[in-house]
Amino acid sequence: MEVFKADVVIIGAGGAGLRAAIAVADADPVLTVALMSKVYPMRSHTVAAEGGAAAVTLPHDNLEYHFNDTVGGGDWLCEQDVVEYFVAHAHREMVQMEHWGCPWSRTADGHANVRAFGGMKVERTWFAADKTGFHMLHTLFQTSIKYPSIKRFDEHFCVDLVVEDGRVQGVVAIEIATGEFRLIEAKAVIIATGGAGRVFRENTNGGIVTGDGMALAYRHGVPLRDMEFMQYHPTCMPGTGLLFTEACRGEGGFLLNKDGYRYLQDYGLGPPDPSPRNKAMELGPRDRLSQAFWHEKQKGRTINGPHGAVVHLDLRHIGERKLRERLPQIYELAEEFLGVDPAREPIPVLPAVHYTMGGILADGKTASPVRGLYSVGECSSVGIHGANRLGSNSLTELIVFGKVAGDEASAFAKTVTIGNPATLAKQAEAIRARALGIVSKDGGTERMAVLRTEMAKSMEDGCGIYRLGPEMQATCNKIDELKQRYKRLKIDDHSRAWNTEWLLAIELGYLLDVAQAIVYSAINRKESRGSHQRLDGFEQRDDANYLKHTLAYYAGDGAPRIGYGAVKITKSKPGTRAYGAAGEKADAERKNEASHA
Amino acid sequence: MPDTGKIIEIEVLRYRPEQDAEPVLQTYQVPFTDDMSVLQGLQYIKDYLDGTVSFRWSCRMAICGSCGMMVNGKPELSCKTFLRDYYPGKLRVEALAHLPIERDLVVSVGDFVKKLASVKPYIIPKEARSLDDGEYLQTPAQLAQYEQFSSCINCLLCYAACPQYGMNPAFTGPAALALLHRYNADSRDGGKAERMELVHSEEGVWSCTLVGYCSEVCPKGVDPARAINMNKTSSAADYFLRFVMPKGVVK
Amino acid sequence: MTRLPYVRPMQGWWRRNPYYVRYMLMETTSVIVGLYAGILLVGVWRLSQGQAAYEAWLAALRQPWAVALHGFMLLAMLYHAYTWWKVLPKTLPLIHVGGKPVPGLLLSAAGWTATLVISAAVYATVRWWGL
Repeated sequence: MEVFKADVVIIGAGGAGLRAAIAVADADPVLTVALMSKVYPMRSHTVAAEGGAAAVTLPHDNLEYHFNDTVGGGDWLCEQDVVEYFVAHAHREMVQMEHWGCPWSRTADGHANVRAFGGMKVERTWFAADKTGFHMLHTLFQTSIKYPSIKRFDEHFCVDLVVEDGRVQGVVAIEIATGEFRLIEAKAVIIATGGAGRVFRENTNGGIVTGDGMALAYRHGVPLRDMEFMQYHPTCMPGTGLLFTEACRGEGGFLLNKDGYRYLQDYGLGPPDPSPRNKAMELGPRDRLSQAFWHEKQKGRTINGPHGAVVHLDLRHIGERKLRERLPQIYELAEEFLGVDPAREPIPVLPAVHYTMGGILADGKTASPVRGLYSVGECSSVGIHGANRLGSNSLTELIVFGKVAGDEASAFAKTVTIGNPATLAKQAEAIRARALGIVSKDGGTERMAVLRTEMAKSMEDGCGIYRLGPEMQATCNKIDELKQRYKRLKIDDHSRAWNTEWLLAIELGYLLDVAQAIVYSAINRKESRGSHQRLDGFEQRDDANYLKHTLAYYAGDGAPRIGYGAVKITKSKPGTRAYGAAGEKADAERKNEASHA
Repeated sequence: MPDTGKIIEIEVLRYRPEQDAEPVLQTYQVPFTDDMSVLQGLQYIKDYLDGTVSFRWSCRMAICGSCGMMVNGKPELSCKTFLRDYYPGKLRVEALAHLPIERDLVVSVGDFVKKLASVKPYIIPKEARSLDDGEYLQTPAQLAQYEQFSSCINCLLCYAACPQYGMNPAFTGPAALALLHRYNADSRDGGKAERMELVHSEEGVWSCTLVGYCSEVCPKGVDPARAINMNKTSSAADYFLRFVMPKGVVK
Repeated sequence: MTRLPYVRPMQGWWRRNPYYVRYMLMETTSVIVGLYAGILLVGVWRLSQGQAAYEAWLAALRQPWAVALHGFMLLAMLYHAYTWWKVLPKTLPLIHVGGKPVPGLLLSAAGWTATLVISAAVYATVRWWGL
């Protein structure tokens, strides 16, 4: 097979991967960067992010507020030293994006504008209309074109890492257009492959969000951390799961049940104000809002739609002019997909899986336990989101830690040399044989779509917004069963050029491994925290026993081994997550104490 | 699986380079519901009828630009084109026109990526500014001068629409030129002179004969026809004025 | 396996889509405008050859086939004028008034109106002077 050499290989060319590539190119133009993605960079799922990217900006905001919002939002499962780094470097990265041309929405006098977002005490979310991810991705991709040291491998599907002597020394990928394999010998590898939302049935994610990098690292012994924490975004389109950004609520949207009542006030998020109030009502954190939906559904107060129970996202009072200016994409989505005019009718919405808080174990410098292997973005668990992510922290994460990953990988690459070509080639051949085994097999009995649908339904049942022991156990059993049935896949397409059935089969393998990590992590966490909520006797948060990270270790065909890791607490001791009036009261008390201290 | 009893006939232009000398149409009967997109129809075919049909897709919400294809002869994004609008008629799905077919509904995107790189699609700063100085100031009015052109999702529907590109693939093409303009029109950018040579050239704006179909099919309202044709004026002005001002009009 | 991209032929491209057919019609009207200009040039040339020649030219124009041809050319000119103003906004820089973009249709409408008004004025003038 064709062999290439690179100092740094980056798998995934979304926001994080592109930022890392630029960081390496900036750090030292002599280093070669191989930027590989299974899709063209502008198709990466960063493109679909809508609402914005958070960074302390206004004079009355400060790093401590952002820090506290994030750590509290994460239900104290965050690595607090990493969060401190994150909030401190956010603004500089936003300005860097702006210098690179990102079309941030502006105030009248030309400064970057910021808006309110869920769980944030002060407005700090930078935004580019309601297409922030799109604009950030295209800005990064177009800027990356400037750097001759970045060599792109577009539409190359990574099938494995080459790990030798405890160090990652290369990657093997399929050139999708031809079906040929390529080995890239590397000194450092950054995984930036995104999340794994496609494990679930209703999700906001694109087809490509299949946990590839997570599975690859996992299979090489790197634990996946906190996988049980899957974020349900409260306002998604029924049927497709497509996202209606949190910015709808930031601009003043209401969530109404079948009686036209703003039901969030019944769940500790009130009292209801006619205009948006930070960290209250519709601007509460995502896990609380999704949970409120579930309760309303149990009480029979949701509306029955053709795709099941929904609530109404009411934007009518915002007015058509402001909606078309601030939320143009949302307007189009509602009109074209649902035939709903948001200025005149409420939009039916329901919670759907949106974000994977957990991921590849990464320290504050994005390094994994395997030397030379780094991970960044949604695929990694660098420690800032904990048990629940705040909206607009994720886009910022891509660029803050994208730069860190690029810097770290460059520094590491300078300390090592390319591995032994013969050894690497031998591993690569074995990888090739394994991957080809899927497309060349005959006589399988299981249809891929059937396995995929069963997995997704089972995950929704067992790892939904609220979880119960018996359901989670049923899902554990189902995923175990599906992994066996996967070995008997029936493939129609035995060609090599642009064989997407082959690639979907490999992705299904990744999805099943990640799904297994998720559900086994979930069943073993016997408490409720953030987005992992149980109704089977473990309804409370249990800091005494579970103020720790879950670590899932790959065990081949068998169930993953579940271990635990300590949480780094620095400034913020675990407290109550208080929003709405209770939150304001808690804030006032804290201020009182501080002034009396 | 949809269970409404409604079936729509979908004809797909197949091309498997390992076995086909040229493309051939293949028909499938697809059960569907009213809210299903063409993309979902294709996914049904791949999942349950014929796993060998290859097509690109990802976001399902018309923002990633992957799923462009010809639907009954018109360039569309399959994720936001709905089967109900064609029923009870037949649906014919083919790869985007004017681009080489790699396989089935997958076209070569490499030429576009080269064209994109050729327009220098990045800020060439008009004035230097350090990160410590914060963001450049840009008023909403200045943003409005280029924002629509920055909305291009690179879906290539405009290339499928442009007969000039079809007849002459050396033409830079609508999307790339719209992005060229996007940067020229950005108040922070000072690279107009550097991009002028491409604008002036035969493969630049002058291959465009204002057919205008590109703007008609663009799913994001970018209006590449406008981006190109408003630059014809500046290109002409620059050409003539260089006799008067040899150092060029554009600073 | 090397790539074998398939390039589809462009023959007959403009017949495949009504939009392209309208485009080709629009482009054809330019030829017809050119043809009409040619007829007028012939008239000027005949005028330079004296009154008899000029009268002969006018007489030819009054033939039924010439009148029919002129009717057809008038229709083509009208379509030409209509499409001319329709695409004109595409050649203009973005114009914003009060923070909102001026829609292209407004500019086209201004053009169509101006065309009708000026044409009517020219026609009235010619008729009034009894030419």
